[in-house]
Amino acid sequence: MKGFKRFLESGLERVFLVSALISIASVVLMTLFIFQRGLPLFREVSVLHFLFSPDWSPSNPAHPSYGILSFIVGALFVTFLSLAIAVPVGISTGIFLAEMAGHRIGAFLRSAVELLSGIPSVIYGLFGIAFVVPLIRLISGGSGYSVLSASIILAIMTLPTIVNMTEVSLRAVPGDLREGSWALGATKWQTVVGVLLPAARSGIITGVVLGMGRALGETMAVLLVGGNAPIMPTGPFSMVRTLTMNIITDMSYAEGTHLTALFTTAIVLFAFILGLNIFIQIALKQAVKEQTR
Amino acid sequence: MKRIIAVSVALVLGSVFAFAAGKYSGKYTFGGSTTVQPIANVAIEQFVKANPDVKISYEGLGSGTGLKQLAEGTISLAGSSRDLKQSELDSGLVPVVIARDALAVVVNKDIPVANLSREQLAGVYAGTIVNWKEVGGKDEPIVVVNRDETSGTYGAFKELVLDPAKLSFLKNAIVAKENGEVAAKVASTPGAVGYVGLGFVEEVTKAGGKALSIAGVLPAVKTALDNTYPLSRNLYVATKGAAKAGSVEKAFIDYLLSPRGKVIVKEAGFVPLK
Repeated sequence: MKGFKRFLESGLERVFLVSALISIASVVLMTLFIFQRGLPLFREVSVLHFLFSPDWSPSNPAHPSYGILSFIVGALFVTFLSLAIAVPVGISTGIFLAEMAGHRIGAFLRSAVELLSGIPSVIYGLFGIAFVVPLIRLISGGSGYSVLSASIILAIMTLPTIVNMTEVSLRAVPGDLREGSWALGATKWQTVVGVLLPAARSGIITGVVLGMGRALGETMAVLLVGGNAPIMPTGPFSMVRTLTMNIITDMSYAEGTHLTALFTTAIVLFAFILGLNIFIQIALKQAVKEQTR
Repeated sequence: MKRIIAVSVALVLGSVFAFAAGKYSGKYTFGGSTTVQPIANVAIEQFVKANPDVKISYEGLGSGTGLKQLAEGTISLAGSSRDLKQSELDSGLVPVVIARDALAVVVNKDIPVANLSREQLAGVYAGTIVNWKEVGGKDEPIVVVNRDETSGTYGAFKELVLDPAKLSFLKNAIVAKENGEVAAKVASTPGAVGYVGLGFVEEVTKAGGKALSIAGVLPAVKTALDNTYPLSRNLYVATKGAAKAGSVEKAFIDYLLSPRGKVIVKEAGFVPLK
């Protein structure tokens, strides 16, 4: 019986080890694959032209051009504008849930926010076409397919992450800090702004950066509302194509250098996401340090 | 009992003969026009199912490259979405029309304009005409819906509309990934204009939009077939020398022109020949 237990124990250990290896291997393989398919582009197109030319015309027979600057700018524009909408709303909601909401309202609001994160992105896109795009069209004239439409949809999509992270980190702030603040005669508002938010800042920043990653990587929803014109966005009402949109738009029939350029676009996206993740790791370490101090 | 045995023997023999009926074998490489590719791919799939010993691939090389490789003998059958040049005919290539490709220009229901000339259409898509009042409509900016650069429809529109006028596409246009998406965006956006394969006009009209007549001719199967509709063209497959009876190429062309081939053509969004 004891032998069997030991056998089960070591067997399970191995199963877990293999599972861990599978997930690591898939990351490594994916990275290798993208780089192997994407890097050969630089034999034909210079790195500088690829990154800093706004001219994307791969099917121009005489002078094909593979510049993705407008997509990088577009992706960043959409991402930061969506955060500008989502961060104030998200953090406020988080504060409300952690500090003010009663039990029933809190539970209701929390499940509503969780529901948001479970909605498939294509539904967000259709919602955007049906409601957000006509609204922007009404405000700005033009077609309504724009940076702002995409940002509004992305803001709604990133809300759950920001709300959850804010609430969780506020709840993790030690009670003596809160009570200390009250004991000093601070109002609720002063406590939240002066004590709780600073104490919870690394967790909140992590939430924001996670939301940023989601916004940067989102494809389907922005594809449906962004307009997808391969131009440099000139303002919030201009049409936009992001890095992910560029990959998905041309992927179906692209060939040769054009196809390679799409993989190279993926490398750039990968670099952005990797950068964000490293930032999160550092922020989280910081948070742990602060908690243990 | 005897009858049952007889029937089952007949069935077994029958299925053996059915397999034997796939009399073609070997490996073949076809290629050429990416517009023809969706037709060719489905047709090849069906053809290979009936002839399991045959392996055929179709490479989307583009019409020009495909015909060149056909002349050189690299491939044995080429799809082409344009008429063959005299030089290509002189080098012994024989084209067979397999379908008509027609593009319909569709607009949102708020556009009172009913007709555009080819020049006007080219101007709209090149960005030199930006307001509907310039082509006889009301004062309303034109929202142009284009297709992704790699689609055959994009290539066909460029060839039929912009190339003759020596213009190129404007960049500030909504880019849709599929005919259906063009239809949806045109139908839902005031001032929008887009182009779709003839088979998708219904999707736009169902949503309240309409197809424009071009140079006075409305897009329809009839006008596409008799060549009066300007935005239509032949789709060909070509062989080097007329395809010989009994060859896989001949059998494949016959299959494309058969009733089942016509269904494939129609499903791919093109107009089958009468």
